[in-house]
This record gives sequence, structure tokens and C-alpha cells, in this order.
Amino acid sequence: MNGPRDARAAFGGTRLAALCLLAAAAVGLWQALRLDRWGFDGPGAGLFPQIVAGVCVLLSIVVLVFPGRAASTEDGDTDEIDDATRAATRSTFSLYVVALLVLAAGAAFGGFVVTVIAVTLLVLRFAERRSWRHAIVYGVACALIGLVGFGWLLRVDLPESPIERAFYSLVR
Amino acid sequence: MDALLGGFAVVMTPANLLYCFIGAFLGTVVGILPGLGPLTTIAILLPITFKMDVTSAIIMLSGIYYGVAYGGTVTSVLMRIPGEASSVITCLDGYEMARKGRAGPALFIAGIGSFVAGTLGVVAITFLSPPLAEMVLAFGPSEYAMLMLAGLAMVTYMSGGSLPRALLMAAFGLLLGTVGSDPMNMTPRLTFGLMTLGDGINLVPLAIGLFGLSEVLFMARRTEAELKILKPPSGLLGFLPSGDEARRSVGPIARGSVLGFLVGLLPGGGAVIASFLSYGVERKLSKRPEEFGKGAVEGLAGPEAANNAGTTGAFVPLLCMGIPANAITALLIGAFMIHGVTPGPTILERQPEIFWGVVASMYVGNVMLLVLNLPLIGLFVRILDIPRAYLTPMILAVCLVGVYSNSGNPADVLVAVIFGFIGYGLRRHGFDLGIVILAYVLGPIFERSVRQALAISDGDPMIFLHSKLSIGFAVAAAVILVAGLWPKRRSV
Repeated sequence: MNGPRDARAAFGGTRLAALCLLAAAAVGLWQALRLDRWGFDGPGAGLFPQIVAGVCVLLSIVVLVFPGRAASTEDGDTDEIDDATRAATRSTFSLYVVALLVLAAGAAFGGFVVTVIAVTLLVLRFAERRSWRHAIVYGVACALIGLVGFGWLLRVDLPESPIERAFYSLVR
Repeated sequence: MDALLGGFAVVMTPANLLYCFIGAFLGTVVGILPGLGPLTTIAILLPITFKMDVTSAIIMLSGIYYGVAYGGTVTSVLMRIPGEASSVITCLDGYEMARKGRAGPALFIAGIGSFVAGTLGVVAITFLSPPLAEMVLAFGPSEYAMLMLAGLAMVTYMSGGSLPRALLMAAFGLLLGTVGSDPMNMTPRLTFGLMTLGDGINLVPLAIGLFGLSEVLFMARRTEAELKILKPPSGLLGFLPSGDEARRSVGPIARGSVLGFLVGLLPGGGAVIASFLSYGVERKLSKRPEEFGKGAVEGLAGPEAANNAGTTGAFVPLLCMGIPANAITALLIGAFMIHGVTPGPTILERQPEIFWGVVASMYVGNVMLLVLNLPLIGLFVRILDIPRAYLTPMILAVCLVGVYSNSGNPADVLVAVIFGFIGYGLRRHGFDLGIVILAYVLGPIFERSVRQALAISDGDPMIFLHSKLSIGFAVAAAVILVAGLWPKRRSV
């Protein structure tokens, strides 16, 4: 482990995070300033957001300048492993990121069954390099258990597509 | 005491015992399943109770409410997914204990802590309800505002990182809490014209994103060797805490019980705030604060006790004053009213059998929950045997169900994913996400109190220092912040 280099990288990451928070707070402040601070019946809708966003901007700048001590360090870093494992871990991580994006898109457009199967295939087949058969069987099993357990028996709202609607029309 | 014995006579009928069991069991299940919250479950079951006896109905619905506090622990410890908002803090150290192969002891300590806190809370309700009800009424908007400020200051002070970082996380959480319609005049705020943000950022996608989905990303970064520490104990004795773990959990459970009950008394308080405050207190009092966030027993035992005691404490304003502490107790008040009973100071005189029946059922329910939960620990921890390849699709499917079912809005899933990435980035660089959630939860109560106080004083900020109580809280907040800055100055 290269101590000074790691420390510099950590501070750089903290500053980047602080910069992102500064941008978010600045946008929030810009929106909040468009609201009334005081109304005819007392404090307006903008008072609290303006104060909070202003404080958030100030604190982001403070952390940007003085990153300070971290609350805790998270493991999962790939600094102490060989290049091949690091590359494989990066690839796995990227596929998990894609899986999360598919989860979000699937909830809006794909329905529960398709989304769960797609996410499982991405994770199991591509990220974790299991066989196609394993991935498909496990994906279908997860989707069916979710659909039957949550959607039918517990009557929990699930993202719907023609597949879910057809299933519900059969069982309900 | 006679009245309480009368309450036990009401509960100890076969029908009421059965309803108590059904409520406690459903509560546990609901706590484990992110797709169903206590609010939804009570709302669904409310019509079923119409034809039931009022005491039986309230016993069952109350069982769901306090049973959730037990069940929510399981997914928090094993998967870092908070089953309920009050279990968010359990994710921090409970999950880390599980990663170190101490899932069984973590669930055991949580179960015992929950039982002790729940039972102590019910004892406190039994003996302290009338005087406590009077004390809570002394809190006005300015006292509340200063209390919230002191609470936020304490939590930021107790963060392991530098004070500016902790304060930034608190401000970020408060800012997130202001998104959506203004709670007083419904003006859209910080919505950028997006309809989907009209109702604000929901707690469920926020919590699942920051904690559950960010953890999936961390799991993806770990190598097979690093993941192997997720090994549950094999023998029955492995589920029991060691002597050291048991010793270290006694104090936090006692403190969490008292703190949780007191916070639960406050309207707007309850289990969520209680668990966060308890975590902060334990972190400060611990001889090993560096272990917090890495599997500290105190960080699990205290908040778990506090969230149960907070849940129990919330019954005081509910039963004695008719004031709901949160949305769930508001629904319980609705259940009372549907059955023609008005909770409040008069319930003790007019319908003592209902009041004491519900109180007695909580004693019985806590025993039932302990008996129900402890034998299942062995079954629960087997989840950790599942390899990452199979566990993560399951976690993602559960997150999808939990987030979507909360509102039926696919945009919430997108929000959860976005907060998953944000949570991953912030955690990776040592920002304390627990503070974000706490500030988010406290924010609306804090804002409402500030605005009500300013409206009363016609904008004069001196109202926040008009009573000894609010001055005390303001001074406490200032002292905590200054004290937090002083020793950490060198590290900045």
C-alpha cells in the first residue's frame, strides 16, 4: 500500500464528493430563492429551504477546502490485488451498475417478471460468470416467487406488464 | 395494580390471546418483508376488525405495530436492507457483525434487547402515563425546534468523522426533506417542475437506495476472498453471544430503553428518532468508538432497544392524550374512533378495560415475540450461506418490491437507484449516511416547529429563547457543537 498516495486519493475523492454536494446545494439554493421567505400568515415556503441550502453550500465549501477525517473506511477496495483480479472486479462492478440501471428502467417499462429475469441474467451470467442454464432457471424462479408470493398472495403492488396482468387474470 | 390485573383478565381469553399472537406474528413478517409496511398492513386489516370487539381489534393492530420493530431487524442484519425505517440504524453495526460471522449473536442480542426494552416500556406506561402526559404537554413549537436542533447537534457530534463532514451530511438530509410540497401551504418546493417530486422524496427509496443498493455495489467490489467472511456459525452455541458481547450489550440496552421511551413520548418522535439518538449516545459513551460502523455490539444493542421502547412510548400520547406520534399511531386512533372509543385523558375513567387490556396485551405480545423470534434465528442466518451471485439478484428483487409497492410509482425505483449511487460515493469517501436519514426524518418536524414558533412571535426569533426548556436545549446544542469542533480541529 502506498500511504501518501492513498491519502491523496482519499482527499481527492472527498473533495469530488464535496464538489458534487456543493453543486446540488447551489441548485437547491437557486430554486429556494424563488420561493417566498415570508407570507401574510407568517413564515413562507422558502424560509427553511433557503436557510438549509445556504448552510449546505457553506459547509460544502468548508469540506472542499478542509476534507477532514472520514467517518469510517469502507472495504471493497481493490488496491491490494493483482491486475487480473482488479480488472475482473472492475468488470463485475460495471455490470452491477448496469443491473441497477436495468432495475430502474424495468420498473417503468418492463414489468416485474421481465425486470427480475433481466437483472438476474446480468448478474449471474455476465457479472458472476455462471452458466446460462443456472442464470435462466434462477431468474425465472426469483420472478415467479416474487409474483406469486408478493403479487398474488400478499397483494403487493408490483410493476406490471402484459405478463403480470395475464397472470392476475388467471388467479384472481 | 388492580387495573392492570383487570387488563390481564381481558387479554387472557383464548380469543384475545389469538388476536395478540396474530398481530405479533404479522408484525414480524411485515418487518421482515420490505414490500409491506405496518401502515399498509394496518390499513388493509382495519376493515376486517369492524365486526370484532374493540379491545380485540386494538390488541391485534397494536401487535402488528410493535411486532414490526422485531422483524425489521432481520433484513437489516443479514442483508443491510432496512425492513422498516426504524431499522435503518441497525444496518450499520448489525450487518457488520454478520459479515464477521456474528449474525446469530447479533439477532439474539437484538431480540433480547427488543424484549427488554418493550417490556420496560410497557412497565413505564403502566406507572408513568399520567405524569408523563402532563410533562409532554409543556412542549410548545419553540421547545420542539430547540429539541430537534439539540438532537441534530448531538448526532453530528457523535459521528466518527470530522464535524464539518457530519454537519454537511445533516444539512444534506435536511435539504432532501424540504423537497416536495410545503407541508403548510402546499407550495411546490425544489421540485424543478417535476410532478414525480411533488410528494417529495420518500423515505423508503431513500433508505433502500442509501443502504441496500449501495451495499450491493460494495459487494460487487469485493473479491471472493473478502466475501468469505460472510460465514454464519454452524452450531447452536454459535448463535449465542459471547460473554464479552453480552456484557457490552447490557448498558446500551438499558440506556436505549430509557432514551427510546422518552423520545417515543414526544409527538413526532417514535422509534426512528429514538434509534438514531441511541446510536449517537452509545458511540459517545463507548470505550471503543472506532468500532462503530464496523460491528460494535453497542451500536446494535442500544438502537434496537431504543426503537422498541420508542414504539411502546408512542402509545402514551396515543392512549393518554389522543395525539398520534406518527402515521401508524394516527391510524390506530382511527381504529379506536371507528369502534366508538375516543382515546385521551378520559379513556382511563370511562373505558379502563380497553386501556389496561391493550397495556396488558403488550406484556403478553412481547413474550410471544421473543418466543417466536429466537428459535428462528438459526433459520434466518442461513441466508448468509448463499453466495453473492445468488444473493444479490434476490436483494435487488426485494428492493424492487419494497420501493415500488410503497407508492406504486416506478419513478421511486429510479430515485432509489440514484441514491444507491450517491450512497456508494459518499460511503466510499467516509461520509456518515446515518446522519442524512436522521436529518431527513427530523427535518419536517424541525421546520414545522420553527415556522409555528415564528408565526406565533410574528417573526421574532427570540421566541426560541423564551422558556427555560428551550434555552436549555439551545445551550445544549451550542455546547455540543463547540465541543465537537474543539478536539477535531487538529484533524481538519
